[in-house]
Amino acid sequence: MELFSEIYSCYYQVLRHLLCSQDTLTIQDIRRLICSEGFEESLLSIIPKLEDGTWNLFEKDGKLYRSRLSSSFTTPVSDLEKSYLKALLSDPRIGLFLDQEQLEALDKMLAGVAPLWKPEQFYYFDRFADGDSFEDEKYRNIFRTLLQAQKQNRYVDIDYTSPNGSRVHHHYVPARLEYSVKNDKFRILALKPSHSAFAQGSQHEAQASERMKLEILNVSRIQDIKLMSKTLSSPVDLDTMIQRSYYKEPLRLRIVNKRNALERAMLHFANYEKNTTKIDEDTYECLIYYNQSMETELLIEVMSFGPMLTVIENERFLNNLKARLKRQRRIAPPAEL
Amino acid sequence: MSDFQELVKSFPKTREYVRDFFVYGFKTRDEFKDKSPRTYDNERRRLESWLGNHVRKDHVSNGSNISLAIDSNLLDTNPLFRVWKTKSFTDNDIVLHFLILDLLQDGAELTVEEITGSLLEEYEALFDIQTVRRKCNAYEKEGLLNKKKFGKTVVFSIDNSIAVWIKSNEGMLDALAFYQMAGSFGIVGNHLSEQLDYPNRTFRVKHSFCVHTLEEEIVFDLLNAMNKKKDVRLEMKSSKNGALNTTECTPLQIFTSTRSGSRFLCGYVKKSRRFTCYRLDTVKTVTPLDQSEEYEELLAQLDRNRSYLWGVSFQGNDRHHLNRLTMTIQALEPSEQYIVERLKREGRGGTVTRIKRNVYQYETTVFDCNEMLPWIRTFIGRILSLECTDKFVEKCFYRDLQTMYRMYQIEEDI
Repeated sequence: MELFSEIYSCYYQVLRHLLCSQDTLTIQDIRRLICSEGFEESLLSIIPKLEDGTWNLFEKDGKLYRSRLSSSFTTPVSDLEKSYLKALLSDPRIGLFLDQEQLEALDKMLAGVAPLWKPEQFYYFDRFADGDSFEDEKYRNIFRTLLQAQKQNRYVDIDYTSPNGSRVHHHYVPARLEYSVKNDKFRILALKPSHSAFAQGSQHEAQASERMKLEILNVSRIQDIKLMSKTLSSPVDLDTMIQRSYYKEPLRLRIVNKRNALERAMLHFANYEKNTTKIDEDTYECLIYYNQSMETELLIEVMSFGPMLTVIENERFLNNLKARLKRQRRIAPPAEL
Repeated sequence: MSDFQELVKSFPKTREYVRDFFVYGFKTRDEFKDKSPRTYDNERRRLESWLGNHVRKDHVSNGSNISLAIDSNLLDTNPLFRVWKTKSFTDNDIVLHFLILDLLQDGAELTVEEITGSLLEEYEALFDIQTVRRKCNAYEKEGLLNKKKFGKTVVFSIDNSIAVWIKSNEGMLDALAFYQMAGSFGIVGNHLSEQLDYPNRTFRVKHSFCVHTLEEEIVFDLLNAMNKKKDVRLEMKSSKNGALNTTECTPLQIFTSTRSGSRFLCGYVKKSRRFTCYRLDTVKTVTPLDQSEEYEELLAQLDRNRSYLWGVSFQGNDRHHLNRLTMTIQALEPSEQYIVERLKREGRGGTVTRIKRNVYQYETTVFDCNEMLPWIRTFIGRILSLECTDKFVEKCFYRDLQTMYRMYQIEEDI
């Protein structure tokens, strides 16, 4: 079993898509597909091989290319992939996706296959202790309803307990299900129509989609959920919504490379969109883009580095950091330390 | 650069470059000191070709930087998976891949001779028997083909039942979409999703580090050794100074941090008779050695030690085996109850006690309290006192706090 093998290569995938096409293809069709699925320079390698017949996988009919493969071509599952599937069977989250009957069917098909890993071979030492109850039947039903709604762009009627304990009740369209590795929890990135837009009904949905608000809800806080028949007819550009939510002024950090601070910071903040530049031999500046929902977590992360990072901008972040330091100095003055 | 090839033969060299560009992203051509300019240019061109959409170029005074701009909030897949799809191959490899698998799609059991004949008859593809045999045997090893013997006759066939089952089970396809982003060896889940043409459009993952995928080959080798209970020799390259060294240990478990972005191998070193953790991104090669006779015993011992581990260190600054840390926190009631929840949730088994109104005490005993400092600092603004039997930890915390007061000009009279 090899992890780095040509059978998983991008070129093989591109070729499979070309070869499984039911229609005859022009060289322009082929180019288009290579450009959209291949690497940037794949065109230069693949096209000559097809044109001169070195990769004799198409019948040429004048300027048209017809696949030599049968239309039902399926790549078999490799041993590596079987071994991966077997490992998933031991994961507590698999029950969110498969019922008992399906789990047993897959297990039977994989009889004799060794799992690629066992759960006990990995240890997440700083994972939070209050992860979601993935094996709870009520949780699973809520999860499956959310999954169905997300894939079908349908509204759900959600009864939710907010972090401050109050009960809220709203209609949402789940845009994505978000899993946090650190928290071991699922959240939903939920689109909530502004009140006026929702009241106007589906005839104005195109405009309404522009007035959607993005909210984040913890799946474990959902008390009740009902799948509605109403769908979101006009697509919402989630990524643009997220990017627009970022503060115009990013967090600007100065990093002096002592105690391996640079590498630690670069790894630690690898999840954020960031841009790092070198100022002088030992000093670097890093811009981090974030929004209000990430603010507290980012502040905590920056504080964890202590004096190894200096916050330069923005004003808002700097003020929040200073407020914590001021409070610290007030409740435990240095003389008492 | 006429000899430029988009695909590569081996993964390790590429792994180092991608990691540097991904993690740092501010090094110019001159700053990749260990490599020749030509190598740098080729690697950079490959990276731009593979990861085009995520490559950002910035012009700086001493050249141009390229970096990978990856915002995990916007990812439906790990862009670094593309690095795994770059293995080079021969013309025969790709043609035989499609033709042999196509020929056997209907479940037929054919000998190598029959396959070779059919390739010519049905696809006008002429190959010698040896070449076809080599490919069939290689695919049998990868599990793509089944091989059966009837007396002296060897036949090859395909079993597509698992692929067909997955295709018809939306739940399984959703699971693959999820696990490729959230679990170990996500690249394998991604291969399956791609093969079955079911890209992820449902899940996003937070606190997952894209760069971990570059270490999967090392993890793969380590797991193989663990499953066989074998010791290993590790070749490592220091991330601080680039120095190369080797060590031997009994590999026991992969330790993962969901915060710092690092993963480690926890192993037992016979020479020093200690458990030690090695950062996976510094491990270059893994060589299996002899079977360990005390493997189960070491695992049990590690398990017993785990409750005293804060992170990955089994030894503190001083000679004490264990150190005790006590932190008293101000959490206003009831509005700041979430702070108490944080202590319980993130405190890794430490006890949380209400001392009096608005005051809580967190207490724990661990091998190395030094590792706790980053977490402790996240409570700045609420720490009433910090005491540790390792005095260096106390000193370090208060010294850093003073430095921060000076850095941000936090006056005494406030």
